[in-house]
Amino acid sequence: MKNVIIISLLGVTAYYLLSAFVSIPFGEDFINGVKDFYLNKSPEDLKVANVVTSIVVNFRGFDTLGEVTVLFLASTALGSILYRRRSSHTALNPQRTAPQASTLVQAGAKVIFPFTVLLGAYVFIHGHLTPGGGFQGGAIIATGFLLMLISYRKFFVEHNVLTWIEALAGTSFVVIGLAGLVYADNHNFLENFLPAGELNDLLSGGIIGIIYIAVGFKVGAEITGILDTLLTIKEAGLDPEEN
Amino acid sequence: MQILNYTGYFFISVGAVFLFLGGLGILRMPDLYTRLQAGTKASTLGAMSTILGVGLLQPEWLLKIIIIIVFIAIANPLSSHALARGSHKARQLPYLKDEKIGDAYESETENSEKNKEEDK
Repeated sequence: MKNVIIISLLGVTAYYLLSAFVSIPFGEDFINGVKDFYLNKSPEDLKVANVVTSIVVNFRGFDTLGEVTVLFLASTALGSILYRRRSSHTALNPQRTAPQASTLVQAGAKVIFPFTVLLGAYVFIHGHLTPGGGFQGGAIIATGFLLMLISYRKFFVEHNVLTWIEALAGTSFVVIGLAGLVYADNHNFLENFLPAGELNDLLSGGIIGIIYIAVGFKVGAEITGILDTLLTIKEAGLDPEEN
Repeated sequence: MQILNYTGYFFISVGAVFLFLGGLGILRMPDLYTRLQAGTKASTLGAMSTILGVGLLQPEWLLKIIIIIVFIAIANPLSSHALARGSHKARQLPYLKDEKIGDAYESETENSEKNKEEDK
């Protein structure tokens, strides 16, 4: 009986999906699509070399603001699930879940870590010129911090600092959007109000560069905070080296 | 310039051969440690040689390519070391034809861990 219901439900879903897809012409160009608008307007008017970035931050900036909010909510929820009440002993002496890494890994991590952070910063600063952007650059920075977290048992990130970075980055995103209401030509939220500059210049694309720097800081801080929460035990008696 | 081109092609071919041998080793070797040996050593040389060949073909990329080679020289041996050490700690046994040697290996690792605990 249960299987019959599942199969009939799947059949109904498949019928409606098929009837929707049949109406889309196969193998022909989209005449009514927006792709030509995006492809022509991005390099010519906005002077953004990376069309994907111009769509994500400029044409659909409000959507990106929503994505950043979703990421923030996810990290907050994860933190609240993993939070354990600290006793007075372990609050001073938090423990890693992983055992100590070897000396070679520690020495190598120390060498690679600054370059990883540099690469991440490069990726999000050049988000409007090269592939990548704020989310990718933030993730690269977080991998650098992950390397340090699994290499050194004594390496801890300051959650207060991370919270401040997140708050400042998110606020600057919204403030740039509000500035668009005041200074931009059409007075829209998140509309470009800075000069567009030259194509392929570092200072081009108007607000895209600033927004992606904010997003990079925010994503890096959030993922680093999640990783540190996952890798740290704040409860007494759970240290793997003791058991 | 022609000589530079031919040297570049030579390095790329050497790298391709070593990458192929590394892949073959991963398929062919019996256990984790020998696979690590094949997969990391051969692919380190293969990747370095291929990238260096590309750098000789396009001399304006040479600086970036040297940086990439230095990164590979640091990161590849380190990661293989960490993998091998982790699998040794997880009691991953090497492939042995003689079971007695396997028992000796097992007792040796147990002894060393007992020694560690006594050290504490």
